[in-house]
Amino acid sequence: MTVYMCKENLESILCGVYDAWMSRKGHAQVKLQIVSDGNIELFCEYIEVEETPEKLDKVISAIRSKISEEAWMEVSKAALSQDPLRADKIYRFLIYGFHFGRKVVDMLQIPAVYDLFQLCRNVGNESHYFIEFIRFSEMKEGVLVSHIRPNNDVLAMVAPHFADRLSGENWMIYDERRKKAVIHPADQNWFINEIDDPEWEKRMTEQTDEAVYQELWKAFFTSIAILERKNARCQRNHLPLRYREYMTEFQK
Amino acid sequence: MLIQENLGIREKLAILSDAAKYDVACTSSGVSRKGQKGTIGSTSEAGICHSFAADGRCISLLKILFTNQCIYDCKYCINRSSNDVVRTAFTPEEVCTLTMEFYRRNYIEGLFLSSGILYNADYTMEQIYQTVLQLRTIHHFLGYIHVKAIPGADPVLVEKVGFLADRMSINLELPTAEGLKKLAPGKTRDKILKPMRQIQLGIHSQQQERIGQRGSQRSVIDQMSTSSFQVGSMQNSSRFIQGMSTQDVHTDVAAYYKNKPSFVPAGQSTQMIVGATPENDYQMVTVAEALYKSYDLKRVFYSAYVSVNQDSSLPVLPGGPPLLREHRLYQADWLMRFYGFSAGELLSEKKPNFNVFLDPKCDWAIQHLEQFPVEINRADYGTLLRVPGIGVKSARRIVAARRGVCLDFPDLKKLGVVLKRAVYFITCGGKMMYATKIDQDYITSQIVGVEKQRVWDIEHKDMYRQLSLFDDGGLMVQPTVEDHRAALFGNL
Repeated sequence: MTVYMCKENLESILCGVYDAWMSRKGHAQVKLQIVSDGNIELFCEYIEVEETPEKLDKVISAIRSKISEEAWMEVSKAALSQDPLRADKIYRFLIYGFHFGRKVVDMLQIPAVYDLFQLCRNVGNESHYFIEFIRFSEMKEGVLVSHIRPNNDVLAMVAPHFADRLSGENWMIYDERRKKAVIHPADQNWFINEIDDPEWEKRMTEQTDEAVYQELWKAFFTSIAILERKNARCQRNHLPLRYREYMTEFQK
Repeated sequence: MLIQENLGIREKLAILSDAAKYDVACTSSGVSRKGQKGTIGSTSEAGICHSFAADGRCISLLKILFTNQCIYDCKYCINRSSNDVVRTAFTPEEVCTLTMEFYRRNYIEGLFLSSGILYNADYTMEQIYQTVLQLRTIHHFLGYIHVKAIPGADPVLVEKVGFLADRMSINLELPTAEGLKKLAPGKTRDKILKPMRQIQLGIHSQQQERIGQRGSQRSVIDQMSTSSFQVGSMQNSSRFIQGMSTQDVHTDVAAYYKNKPSFVPAGQSTQMIVGATPENDYQMVTVAEALYKSYDLKRVFYSAYVSVNQDSSLPVLPGGPPLLREHRLYQADWLMRFYGFSAGELLSEKKPNFNVFLDPKCDWAIQHLEQFPVEINRADYGTLLRVPGIGVKSARRIVAARRGVCLDFPDLKKLGVVLKRAVYFITCGGKMMYATKIDQDYITSQIVGVEKQRVWDIEHKDMYRQLSLFDDGGLMVQPTVEDHRAALFGNL
């Protein structure tokens, strides 16, 4: 067994796919693994994947032309997942993809396709949750800041929504787990930046007259519920507890 | 009745959102609009929920009343004129500030503005119009706006608001005219249906203009006064309208849209109260069906009656609001809108209420066993949709996945089919999953066992149940020969 070690990003995974495929050792003899995913096995040869633009280009254009745009979207979405096995799952999916062509995305009865579908669904669902549940608070100089702690790397998935909606605002969404943020200056394009700086963290907690609107929102949230219909289980179903940590209405 | 002028915005918000909470028609769906430079906001076709209140209902829009002052005395309503509650009113500016500041922080998807009737219907509608106009023109707000049309308001005002709002609604409240007369003496069927028809015609004429069948840009009101359809006292109001140029309506609002303003793009909805009057489920669903068909409504909402007032003409509900009944009505509503069922198939004069133990689709399927089992690999999409346990998504996935391969039961599970309900009604490659009898009593007892837990959950939320050895959902199954044998030899 040969194991190709890639980094966590999509580019590295796709280069890993290229290396594994072009090694011509047979699909059963190769495996992809994310570097950070700890343990090493016996009787395995470990090869570090080298990222080059040529490999990347070849794999991307092959997916887009030989399978479909839809499959390419799914693969890039799946790469944002937190699943430690995602690199190998993408590889297994692509084996079927290059065999069946564009219809592969509908063939959920194949385990490899179903695995990728689940990754996508998980990333898609979580990013939708954040589109719903992100709460901004206004900082000094009118910047809207939101803190989140997502399982999957959803920043790139939620940014376009807010860039379209709040195009005239300065806003940023900070992923506390991965220490990076998507930053949107008013009327400009958004970008993702690694922020690992205590200075920034301090700046992001300086608030203005924010408390007024937070108070109002809490008042609205309490009075809008019909107590005769109280149903905490239904509420938990739609709004899982782990999202509430950063939501204004659930903060004491 | 005195309006309290000196309340702070926090108190006003608490009072006026509390007063609006019984209105359920508050989705943010139906229109997809991208953001624009220099404006704030966008809308999404499916709508976005931003939070869920303690009752598990979605909070999507800032749902408030403009005022809870009201001249009417509808028996079921918390704001009826004979109730002694603190009365207050927002100003248009206050509503705008709240909406904009909440929207920027991603608390809400937009505004839902309803109102009690202050002085008269026209005055109230005018206030609502001013609010919405300010939001769209001064604040450049492109998010979702849902506005209630006030029954009895001037059609010109309704049209002006319609060009600014995304969705409008008029609550039918009670499915029959008698019920309305009894519980809402100030309202009549006419007053409710007239603006509903006006909005429908408005949307319709705009669609026709878009496809270019209609050259002249006639206003809705012009059409109404000439159209053969006349509702009640239509003549009176149209005489009053003819004095006004309909061009005024357009110039007022055209400024805010870069392109041509569109009239109520997300369609209209309505709400009916469940359980305040003795109407049965059959009446409810036939009224809903008629509204979908002849008024092109996007949604009909059902609101389980919560007894907020003591009144001799209102029912006493010791078990709390009729939530299970509301649930069954929503299930039937979905069957009518997405699954191709008609009201007459689900219920009839002879069987006017839904089965408490079975959802309407299972109930229908068990009554029509002659149409089952259905072969998964061959049945068309419409037939698949009628199988219990198969929904819109899974039916689509089945149709896409079966090209070139033969699907089997484990595959169906991956496609999202709920097998515990579907097994009795389907075959894969000509075989059923288990040797099941196609027999009404047998299938009913099997499915009721599964359903029992869910029904119990709806009726007793957040409570724990005492387990019982002999009276549990799963024990409806008759013991098999093997069970008897095992019991005999003592190796259970």
